[in-house]
Amino acid sequence: MAEIEKEDIDSENAGADEYTACFEDDFEDYEDDFEVCDGDDDSFNELEPKEKIEELPLARKKEIQEIQKAINAENERIGKLSCRLSQKPGLLEDENSSPARAPVCGIFIDFATASRRQKSRTQALKQKTRSTKLLRLIDLDFSFTFSLLDLPPVNEYDMYIRNFGKKNTKQAYVQYNEDNVDRDIQTEEIETRGVWTQHPGEGTAVSGGSMSGDPRDVAAAPKVDTPRLSSFLRAACQVIAVLLEEDRVGAEPSWGPRTQDSTLHISDSSSQLNTSLPFLQNRRVSCLCASQVQRQTVVSVHGPPGAASAPVLDCRYVLCVWDIWQPSGPQKVLICESKVTCCCFSPFKAFLLFAGTVHGSVLVWDLREDSRIHHYVKLGNCFWTFRTATFSTDGILTSVNHRSPVQAIEPISTSVYKKQSFVLSPFSTQEEMSGLSFHIASLDESGVLNVWVVVELPKADIAGSVSDLGLIPGGRIKLVHSAVIQLSDSLSHKGCEFWGATRTLNVKFLPSDPSHFIVGTDVGLISHGTRQDLRVSPKLYKAQQPGMRPVQVNVIDFSPFGEPVFLAGCSDGSIRLHQLTSECPLLQWDSSTNGHAVTGLHWSLTRPAMFLAQDDMSCIYIWDLLESDLGPVAKQLISPDRLVAMTVVGEAEKASGSFLALVLARASGSVDVQYLKRAWAAPVGDELRKLRLLFQEAL
Amino acid sequence: MTSSTPASFSMGTADGLPEAEKNAAESENTYILRPIFQQRFRPSVVKECIHAVLKEELANAEYSPEEMPQLTKRLSETIKDKLKEMGFDRYKMVVQVVIGEQRGEGVFMAARCFWDADTDNYTHDVFMNDSLFCVVAAFGCFYY
Repeated sequence: MAEIEKEDIDSENAGADEYTACFEDDFEDYEDDFEVCDGDDDSFNELEPKEKIEELPLARKKEIQEIQKAINAENERIGKLSCRLSQKPGLLEDENSSPARAPVCGIFIDFATASRRQKSRTQALKQKTRSTKLLRLIDLDFSFTFSLLDLPPVNEYDMYIRNFGKKNTKQAYVQYNEDNVDRDIQTEEIETRGVWTQHPGEGTAVSGGSMSGDPRDVAAAPKVDTPRLSSFLRAACQVIAVLLEEDRVGAEPSWGPRTQDSTLHISDSSSQLNTSLPFLQNRRVSCLCASQVQRQTVVSVHGPPGAASAPVLDCRYVLCVWDIWQPSGPQKVLICESKVTCCCFSPFKAFLLFAGTVHGSVLVWDLREDSRIHHYVKLGNCFWTFRTATFSTDGILTSVNHRSPVQAIEPISTSVYKKQSFVLSPFSTQEEMSGLSFHIASLDESGVLNVWVVVELPKADIAGSVSDLGLIPGGRIKLVHSAVIQLSDSLSHKGCEFWGATRTLNVKFLPSDPSHFIVGTDVGLISHGTRQDLRVSPKLYKAQQPGMRPVQVNVIDFSPFGEPVFLAGCSDGSIRLHQLTSECPLLQWDSSTNGHAVTGLHWSLTRPAMFLAQDDMSCIYIWDLLESDLGPVAKQLISPDRLVAMTVVGEAEKASGSFLALVLARASGSVDVQYLKRAWAAPVGDELRKLRLLFQEAL
Repeated sequence: MTSSTPASFSMGTADGLPEAEKNAAESENTYILRPIFQQRFRPSVVKECIHAVLKEELANAEYSPEEMPQLTKRLSETIKDKLKEMGFDRYKMVVQVVIGEQRGEGVFMAARCFWDADTDNYTHDVFMNDSLFCVVAAFGCFYY
């Protein structure tokens, strides 16, 4: 049965699968059914081989099956009939074994197999027809590929994380410079510093760039505001220097006895400027000049040394600018190749020093200059800077230059003049602020009075100037010739041809009105003139003695207290006090010096009625007109070290009380400062009024 | 007329894991080209059913080689029975269950069918936990 069933399925499957229907099986072959039967065994035996043979061809199989089906169906009918008739218990067995029990009659018709075959055949046919019909109606096609699962392989990190676990942990990451996607950067930027060096070096800098030090050095170095620092240092150094000096002076007891020795009886105390410096050895002082504004600044002119000391300094004149409160050394040391005959400071701020030489040239030193553009010389253990002139009229401006020795050099302040003329201009303010609102007048022997304008260049050019040949490379001050006044004309027609050409010896400008000036001559006359060559009266100031005499007017000095009076000291020892408006002197003293020439004459800076005189016998005379108008009130002989030059410094408005000091240059080359007694230094009340009364009485 | 009783049998495959069952419907002379609308194989409904079964069965499951064969068979039977209850008339169902261990391997499963797209459909569901993954695919083919 199992085999038959299997065969049925196969046939059905075959029918379903195959498109082509086979119609040849419709016609069956019954021939095999009819066989000569030799009993049951034979039929049985025949059946089996028949079945075996018939299994092989599929087409035949179906026929057989159908025949078998038919036979079985017949047998069953027969079986049922016999059952109904006999009702025997072995009916079922009979049915089952019906194929085994072949038909009793001779010809055995294998109905079982045939019926079976028939059954399967019909079924298969049914299936086939069904499938063919269906296939025409339906269409089968491939579906989309369904993706049922896509599980990507696990990467190592996820595996690691899975094994790592999730409890009590948290992962975090930090990426430096993560926006830079095209490079893997994990380190900080490399710090670089540029450094350069040069060999052989030019100038002072041979290497540069930042030093290869630690970064913390770089970080620690503060930003330095260099200009502020340098200006602060400049101011602070001066203050400290003054304090140190005072400290030293106060501390050193050894100065005491010396001070006592050197103090004159006219003075309370004294100090000595340190002229024992190596470059000042063996030099004679030729002249002294004090600044009118900075009352403590004094310049001393030293001649060439007797013995050779340093190549730079031999045959050269040395000018020392001193601060009398710092006597240990000069503030600035200037050198000059030609003999300096006269010098003066700039009137408002003492930063310029003007000098006239024996060759007729006018020199200017700018004291503010950086010392790096001047000579450095090592003397002893110190370095000294010797400054050459910033500007010199030597060799240039030959048409206007002096041709004879310069006798006097004086500043003419122009601001006062402008104030008087009520001219307000922005120019003057700027000049005033820069301290350059003045002109310089230089007078030579032959009566030529040159007026120079001081010009400050905006920027110093270290390479020098092509146009200003007298300017030092790196200098900023130059002189421009402004006007020339020929004094010889005004003096010549005074009937003095007898004496030869008149020499002009000195010039002074009226402080209250600098357009007026007076010139001392060598014939005892003092000429009066104006810069604009206006008519003035009086033109000449004579002595009380009539006529012209071969007397040199050595010194003239205007009163610094605004009174239009001046003093004149002559070579015959006479001292005259003139008023500007009258030809004859107000007062004249002839014998105060016992006939010795007056070489120095200075009004006191603190008291209007006092003045000091110096004669060529190294004597100092102190005059006080309120006390006595007949002669000096004090006289001091300076010996054994003879007095060569003298100048007066003083401060009237000093807080601790005014002081008046004499700076004395001795023949030995030493310079000392004598502070006069308080009685002469301190101003007396109402002095000026009393003096004016005196003058009125004298008229 | 002969009538054949519905017979059920199992079919084994090469790797031994999946299990399939076939439901042979009664053959009649008439055939139906389209299923009744309510009785169409609806993938969404089937998917929900599968999902529920998976969630229930595999909630705390861990992969162990001894238990897995039983589990797969049980799962496929359960799902098949559930689908049968759903009342998809004249539909032949195929339920395939794959359970694999999660060891970091990559797995890709795909299927392609040759059928009538109007009447036949499939659905699948995936369940994954730390130790295993389970894929269930259910195909329904209409028997005309």
